[in-house]
Amino acid sequence: MSDWKQNLQKTRYVMDVLLIVSFMIISAPQSTGIPLHEWGSLLFVVPFAIHLLLHWDWIKKSARRFLLRSTFKERFSTILNYLLYIMMLLVFVSGFLVSVSLLPALHITISIQDFWSKVHNEFASLIMPVIGVHLALHWRWIVNLTKKMSAKGVAL
Amino acid sequence: MKYLSYHWKSRFTIILLVSLAVVGLLAMLDLTSWAEQINQQGYTHGGDGEGKPNIPAVLMYVLPFVKELVLIGVPMLLALLVMTLSAAVKRKLPKRKN
Repeated sequence: MSDWKQNLQKTRYVMDVLLIVSFMIISAPQSTGIPLHEWGSLLFVVPFAIHLLLHWDWIKKSARRFLLRSTFKERFSTILNYLLYIMMLLVFVSGFLVSVSLLPALHITISIQDFWSKVHNEFASLIMPVIGVHLALHWRWIVNLTKKMSAKGVAL
Repeated sequence: MKYLSYHWKSRFTIILLVSLAVVGLLAMLDLTSWAEQINQQGYTHGGDGEGKPNIPAVLMYVLPFVKELVLIGVPMLLALLVMTLSAAVKRKLPKRKN
């Protein structure tokens, strides 16, 4: 396991596992409690940004590939990825606008609007099926990397 | 972390600036009539603690994670099914001659 940092695919895999696990933890405020949900969401920016940084080349090429030459699956995946990014930002921003723990702890007071509460709750649920489809589109990569990472006696 | 640290400052700055711009646009949603309508109607999520379900405390912690697994897992399996079926159909269809 020590050598995964030297391989881009394995670095992506480890960071993606961290991303999905942290997402699942912060998406269950009924289990973790609101303070952990809100402070955890603030920390979630780190694995989210790492995910984007590790896919920088895809981001750079995505628009050109979308317009020039790509299959239906690639185009669908591109639209879904950008939709997921916007939805994630919407859940973030609405979450901060309905904060009852994080912002008060930072001595920031805001009046919570019902609109943002509704947007936060509904998009936080809606984002999960989108993540499911996102995972399905990369399923072969996930299976291959899981096999590679779990293979015993193979230099990682 | 050589892949992560490669040009990370400039790349992270771009991601941050683009994200802040998108967040700025999204924050303007509360100026829309959609937001106004919801604010007038009011919104409550999951009740106000009245009529709490009579289930074991452990389940109260586990069920939110089960909900996540279902909400992520079911669409994932359906998408995999659709992709497998479409690949099978493609294989069976005769290849077009150009």
